[in-house]
Order: sequence, then C-alpha cells, then structure tokens
Amino acid sequence: MNATFAIAGATFGEAVRKRILMVILLVALLIILISPAFEPFAAGRGARTLIISFGFGVIQLAGTFIAIIMCTGMIPTEIERRTIYTILSKPVQRYQFVLGKFFGAVGTLGFMYLMMGIVFLIASRMALGEFDPKIVRGLIMFFFQSSLLAAVVLFFSTFVSPLVNYFLSGGVFLLGNLLSSFLETIQRNPEVTPITRIPVQILTVILPNFANFNVQNPIINPEQVLTDELAYLVQTVAYAIVYIALLLVASMLIFNQREM
Amino acid sequence: MSDLAIKTVNLTKRYSGLWSKQPVDAVKNLNLEVHRGEIFGFLGPNGAGKTTTIKVLLGIIYPTEGEAYVLGKPAGDPKNHYKISYLPENPYFYDFMTGREILTFYAKLFGIPEPDRSKRVNELLDRVGLSRAADQPLRTYSKGMQQRIGLAQCLLNDPDLLILDEPTAGLDPIAHIDIRDMILDLRDQGKTLFISSHQLSDVERVCDRVAILNRGVMVQLGRIEELLAGGHVEVIADKVPDNVVEPIRQLGGKVSLHDGRLIVEQPDNGSVDRVIDIVRAAGGHIISVKPYRRSLEDLFVETIQGGRNV
Repeated sequence: MNATFAIAGATFGEAVRKRILMVILLVALLIILISPAFEPFAAGRGARTLIISFGFGVIQLAGTFIAIIMCTGMIPTEIERRTIYTILSKPVQRYQFVLGKFFGAVGTLGFMYLMMGIVFLIASRMALGEFDPKIVRGLIMFFFQSSLLAAVVLFFSTFVSPLVNYFLSGGVFLLGNLLSSFLETIQRNPEVTPITRIPVQILTVILPNFANFNVQNPIINPEQVLTDELAYLVQTVAYAIVYIALLLVASMLIFNQREM
Repeated sequence: MSDLAIKTVNLTKRYSGLWSKQPVDAVKNLNLEVHRGEIFGFLGPNGAGKTTTIKVLLGIIYPTEGEAYVLGKPAGDPKNHYKISYLPENPYFYDFMTGREILTFYAKLFGIPEPDRSKRVNELLDRVGLSRAADQPLRTYSKGMQQRIGLAQCLLNDPDLLILDEPTAGLDPIAHIDIRDMILDLRDQGKTLFISSHQLSDVERVCDRVAILNRGVMVQLGRIEELLAGGHVEVIADKVPDNVVEPIRQLGGKVSLHDGRLIVEQPDNGSVDRVIDIVRAAGGHIISVKPYRRSLEDLFVETIQGGRNV
C-alpha cells in the first residue's frame, strides 16, 4: 500500500499545482462568497432556496469540471512524459498505479470540496444567520458524485485519448443526470413502445445515476421530500462506492493488458 | 543463480494497427544473452527496436512471440523489480518536487522504510553531487542535474542490473563526463549495465560487448575488441630504394613508393616488425609507425549501411 499512497500523494501534489484547477476553484469560491448578493433575484422562492441552490450549483459545476479536467490526462500524460516507465519499473503493480491515481484524484476533490464547503458555509451563515445542516449533507453527496465521475474519467483514460475522454465522460455525466427522469417520463406515457423503453431502461441500469446525488438542491428538486434523509444519504454513498469499485476493477483489468 | 542478467529467446514484438493490414515487427527473433557483471551496449539507429526490447524486459509491454528473462526470472516479474533499475531516455520527473522529494517518492515505491530511506536519499544526493541543490524544485534543474537525479533514482535499491536508455544524450561535455564516470564507477562495483545509446564513443569506451540492431533484427553481436579487430598499421619511411617494394608487398600490405618515400598500410597481424626490418636493412629511415584502429562508429555505419546479418 506504500506505493499506492506514494503515487496518490504525487498525484495530489501535481493536481493542486495545476493552474487551470486552481482558477476553477478560485472562481467558484468567489461566486459562492458573493452568492448572497443575488438574493433580490429570488423571485418568490425565498432567500434560503436561492442561496443554497446557487451555492450547490456552483460547487457541482466546479466539481464536475475539476474531476473531468484533472482525470482525463492522468494516465495518458504519464505515458507521454515517460514518468510511468520509472514507476512501473519499480516494484509497483499496475493496479497500485491505477489505485494511487484514483486516490490522488479523490484527495484533490476532497481538498477542493473542503475549500468550497467552508466558504459556502460561511457565506450562507452570514446571509441566513444560521448553519443549515442540509449544506453539509449536500456537500457530501456532490463530493461522491464528483468522485464517481472521476472514476468514470479514469476508466476511460486507460484506453482512450484525453480529447475523446472529454466527450465520453461529459456524455456519460449528462446521460447519468438525465436518464432516470427520462425513464420515469416515458414509463408514464402509455404510447411509448417497448422498443424505445427497453434501451433506455438498459442504459439507466448500466450508466451511473448521477441524478441521485442532486436531491439536496431545492431548485433542481423542488418537490423532493425525503422521509429518511440519513438512509438516503447512506444508500446513495454506498451506490457510489460500489460503482466506483466496479469501475476501478475494470480500469485495472484494462490497464493491466495495456501496452505503453 | 543464473549467470545471465538478461536472456531473450526468439523474442518478437509485432505491432498491427487497427486499420493497417501489414503488421510491423519492431523486434524480430532476438536472441540475446547479457552476462552478470558486464556492461552491454545496445545499439541501433532510431526505430531499430532498442526501446521496444527494453520495454519488454521491464514488463511494460508484452512479447508477441518468444521469451525474455531478466535475472533468471520471466521479464516483468514484479519481484525482479527490487533488483533492477531503469532510466528512460529524456525522463520527466514530477517537477514540482525537490530533488530530495523525488528520491523519497521513488524510495517509497521500493518500500524502503524510515530511517533507512532518508539515509539512502542523502547518500545518493551526495554521490551524484546534488546535495546543495537537494531542496530546490526539479523545474529549476539543468538537463545534466535532471539526468543525475535520474541516475540517483536508479541506485536507490542498489540494483544488480541497470538499464539505461540514452544516459548521456543532450548533455553538455562536463555533465556528459560526469555521467560517464558514474557509469564507470558502477562497473567497478560489479553491476550489470545494459546501455542503449547513440553516443558510440562512450559505448566503445565503457562497454564490454555490444549488439547492433537494425529494423528489429540483430545484425552484430560480440566483444568490442573482436568487432573492432582488422585495423592496420601505417609505416612511413624515407630514403627507401625501389628494391624493397616487392618483399614488403609479399607480406600482404599496400605499398606505395615515390621519390624514396615509402608508405605501407600493413595489416595488424604481427608483420609490421618485418616491414621495419626490411626498410632498415635497405638503408631506409623510418619516419613514423602509426596504428589505425576501427572505431565503433565505423563498424556501426558499415553494419547499418551494409545491412549484414549475423
């Protein structure tokens, strides 16, 4: 495990020095900080709804961009720069390299979410006069959403180029956010034939369901009422962990056969 | 324990593109044996298959056919990686790290525990002459310093076998000499070195044996002195009479005589003394005796241009 954590540490160190990621983080922090100023645009939804939705929206967007930008080049760049040869010629198994890269990415996301979360909590406390526990729960959900996305991107990076990976991962993220709602809609419509419905059902099962993580956002899910929030949170986090584990196993199997 | 550090048996690596019908053999039926304790030069023009062979030996890519063994075990065996080290051509190290941090990172990959890790890192920084720059980020290092840190990371595990890909490429003369001296030090310590290089004068100076690859096929293999045998000795003499030409020619050399000045290109086979005796006996005056040895560069150019097979 030493090697895995050493690789994770190097990945984290490199990621937090990437200017593009830092720019995204700083812009996100700035927007979150000034989000209470948008209160006049609440238009009847209430200041709380606006501030929380706005903050979550910015954090989710930043987390998505950070996960995709950070992970697309994670393996191809190591091959291109030949760093990977000095690593794999040491007593390091390929699965340790993939795990190290993923843990490094998750560590970076954790750091980014921690920064954004702290600023979000401070901004909302100043604007609303209290700490809303929903913010912490929402942050956990979005952190796991980004971690799942990072696993998807890392999986693709074991066999496609960074450019293709941007489109693939972006597409999976988009579909993973929309498919479950789309499936619900077509299931309610009796005119939809099984030929249309079944492929959507299959895709909904195969692709990661990113929409599960959005429940804390009162604008995206205005009528969402969770009877047992904790159970839902645990269930969704468990779903993310299982899906991440499956993606990592697939990544390791592909990377094990990969020639560099 | 096997006497061989590296062995390949009919090693072939074939690449076939997704759309191209014609597969390309990057390495073809390579049979190679590198003995423990020797410095082996692995030569060839660009695209000859040298790096491909090295990648197979390290288990980074897999052979299409044939077998490869490193230190008696199949190539790529992770246990072997405790005893081997690799310096790629133009390596990139995480440049946000300092020299000390990058060596600590690689020491962790070897599983070297503290306090041995710090001790080993400090020893190596000292050995490669980077103690004073140890806490500077690698992005501030010159190419020579980067290459030294590359060599230092190769030595962390006190390896039995070092595989160096172009270790002196792109270095200034001072850094070049430094790295070459370090390689000679390693030879004195009895390490096995497998060096792929285009710096033929370095290879000629440090290597015991060489193999030359061309288009994936090994076209030369042998000890340097054997491969470079076949030089000649040039004898120049003055005031030489015409009647010496025939007896000298019978010794097998090329002879020319103009106005008493004799130039003989005599094969380096022990007959030079006889030429000198004949000239002196005839009253001639020896001006110079100069041996001409083939260089590795001559051999390389002849081999690659001639396309001779072993």
